[in-house]
Amino acid sequence: MRRFLPLVIIAVGLAAIAIDFAPLDRPFSDPAVKIDTRLGLDLQGGLRGEYRALPANGVGVSTDGLANIRTIIENRINQYGVAEPIVQTQGSDRIVVEIPGVTNEQDVRSLIGSTGRLDFVPIPTSLSVNQGQPMDLITATTCPAGGVVTTICILFSGDQLDSATIGQDERGNTAVNFVLKDAGQRLFSEWTAGHVNEQFAIVLDSTIISAPVIQGPITGGNVQITSGSIGGFPQAEAKQLVDVLRFGALPFPVEELSSDTIAPTLGREFLDRSILAGGIAVGLVLIFMLLHYRLPGAVAGLALMYYALVLFAVFRLIPVTLTLAGIAGFVLSVGMAVDANILIFERSKEELRLGKSLPQAIEAGFSRAWNSILDSNVSSLITASILYFFGSSVIQGFALVLILGVLVSMFTAITVTRTLLRLIVAREWARKARLYGISESEFTYRPTGRVRREVAPRV
Amino acid sequence: MFDVIGKKRWFFAFSLLITIPGLIFILLTPFSGGQAGLKFSIDYTGGTTWSIKFADASVTTEQVRDELVALGQADASVALTGKGFFDIRLSKLDLRHVEPAPTAVPTLAPAPTAEPSPAASGSPAPSASVEPSAEPSGSPEPTAIPGAITQVPTEGEIGRIATGLQTALGPISEQAQLSSIGAVVSSDLINQAIVLILVGSLGILGWITLRFRDVKMGVTALVALIHDVIVVLGVFAILGTLFDVEIDGLFVTAMLTVIGFSVHDTIVVFDRVRENRVRHAGEPFAEIVNHSLLQTFGRSVTTSFTVVLTLTALLLFGGSATEEFVLALLIGIVSGTYSSIFNASPLLVVWQEWEDRRHGRRSGPTAVRRASA
Repeated sequence: MRRFLPLVIIAVGLAAIAIDFAPLDRPFSDPAVKIDTRLGLDLQGGLRGEYRALPANGVGVSTDGLANIRTIIENRINQYGVAEPIVQTQGSDRIVVEIPGVTNEQDVRSLIGSTGRLDFVPIPTSLSVNQGQPMDLITATTCPAGGVVTTICILFSGDQLDSATIGQDERGNTAVNFVLKDAGQRLFSEWTAGHVNEQFAIVLDSTIISAPVIQGPITGGNVQITSGSIGGFPQAEAKQLVDVLRFGALPFPVEELSSDTIAPTLGREFLDRSILAGGIAVGLVLIFMLLHYRLPGAVAGLALMYYALVLFAVFRLIPVTLTLAGIAGFVLSVGMAVDANILIFERSKEELRLGKSLPQAIEAGFSRAWNSILDSNVSSLITASILYFFGSSVIQGFALVLILGVLVSMFTAITVTRTLLRLIVAREWARKARLYGISESEFTYRPTGRVRREVAPRV
Repeated sequence: MFDVIGKKRWFFAFSLLITIPGLIFILLTPFSGGQAGLKFSIDYTGGTTWSIKFADASVTTEQVRDELVALGQADASVALTGKGFFDIRLSKLDLRHVEPAPTAVPTLAPAPTAEPSPAASGSPAPSASVEPSAEPSGSPEPTAIPGAITQVPTEGEIGRIATGLQTALGPISEQAQLSSIGAVVSSDLINQAIVLILVGSLGILGWITLRFRDVKMGVTALVALIHDVIVVLGVFAILGTLFDVEIDGLFVTAMLTVIGFSVHDTIVVFDRVRENRVRHAGEPFAEIVNHSLLQTFGRSVTTSFTVVLTLTALLLFGGSATEEFVLALLIGIVSGTYSSIFNASPLLVVWQEWEDRRHGRRSGPTAVRRASA
């Protein structure tokens, strides 16, 4: 195993460099997606909103209902053609929306948040309504059975809509088709049979979006709306009507719990500053290690750069969305990653002073420090995991970075450093006291009588 | 040789000296009605923060504040940041309310799917009676394209305030950030923070007790952690009182990270204590601990130093968005190193000696016993 370690390290390093810098396709992705660095909204600007679905008419929010809302909101956002919106359900009644790069957030928010209550309303013969006209349905009730209405009532709602598409009438003009589900089909069939040539309105959020006249009894649940214009509906208008029919209504009203808009320019500034600060931090640690531990410090520095390359590759591969806090976590993990090396080198120095030869001292340093390193890293993993499993999404981003950082550093700070040091101390040039920051006499000291007895002074 | 354990009273006293003022300020928070003590960001209190820049660069903080008061926002706070942006904080929310839902109609799970379903050819089709003309206002309008500047709100309460500000002070040229957080999210966050810190502390207590097979080590490590949590909270309570430094949603993350990290130094010392106990069996426990402390002192300081180095770089160059977060980490980690060396280990000695006295013998390596605590 030990013979293959250098090869493993080189292979992992090359793979990491390839993932970091080469334009590779993501494995198992269809269609092919390039591996890229995912930046959080705080770093690229955009809109983040948290929504809560509320019970409607005494019916609680179901898992299916929530999933439905998610799909509808996603469809609504997709109409904007923005890049990679994320719409997620969270818990039993929450929906989190993240739209990177968006700047017209006011429009998007009113779109997301609109309940989109879609109703099918028979119009009493005494009235005549036009498209676009407001229609207050707050006091409206379900239409009575029997088929005669004098006031505005709701025949059925958007939940009875099965699908809607752009189609053509028999003359080839653009029309809008939609299909009703069983209950709606029955109600509509009964209604249309008795009210030919009367008006009928489709109402979204108290606005009439379409008010066709019934041409004849519609029994099969397949309904077509045609336009009197030459050529039927203009394409854009037909699409809009179809979109409303399809995505117009949420099964439950949603309430905006929080909303956060960050300008792309501000995100860019945050990103630049974080990268600058991170670079300075890593540089300072490298310099410190080199000055304080000399040759082993240089090796630890190499391992640290290796660590940064591998960790960044892991982030790109998974992918982990990097946020401001995540970058802080990354920089923090750099400081922590060298801790294992510090423990090892200090222990090795100690062993050298006790009279061990250089290779022995280094091996002892690694094996004796192992317990402390493991225990420390596990305690970090415990708290980071708690953050990951119980925290909100911003906190999770930081925690994931920390968890991956600790895991990767266990490999780089121990395996990589040890392998490199073993290779180096085998060389004659590397066996000089000053390369390790200890005195010549300590370096060459070999105990005579009592072996493995500490020489540190007693209190 | 320096006798840390012998001077433990001094170190305990020092810890009290730095925790008690902090504790007083922490406790002031609920009693002063927000006038003193910890200052919470809108993540916890709910409210709106809004970062805008006026086209007219001569607009002053006072003008903005006066105008906000005139607009009925008496509790608004305004601060001018580096690049001419005003950071405004309001208690008003910029959130969309639920629209009143019409009555009736059962809500089975509707499925607005996207599959094409051609209309049956035989079915009669109602034709639109009028030329479709007006735009349906509630419907999606697929028009907007992301631009360079985020929209200044025109709707709702914030929209009214924005319009008022622009009428008085000229157009808003840029909007860097607009965040609004409702009370539901805030209360979630507070509960979450408390649970996280409790579970995190218990996790560490369990892990140390398990690994060292000694509940005394677990408990003393926990005491050191609580010390660190109080120090960080206390410093923020004081900074909050004096400089309005706020605690935001990431603060709990910093606390947990401090908890996870500051125990590292404790582990290093305890690990050495465990090793030396076997090697120097029969020597007084206090001496073993003191010796272990001195042996590991250098590396405890060095490991913390590298982390302090990275955090200082973040604090100085990382920008204002993570300033408080990094500061909390920095204070916690420095405090963690101190408490590992000067609190956890001396406490361990006190407890061990007390236990030994109770069992009527001098110290020894076999005195590992479950304590009743």
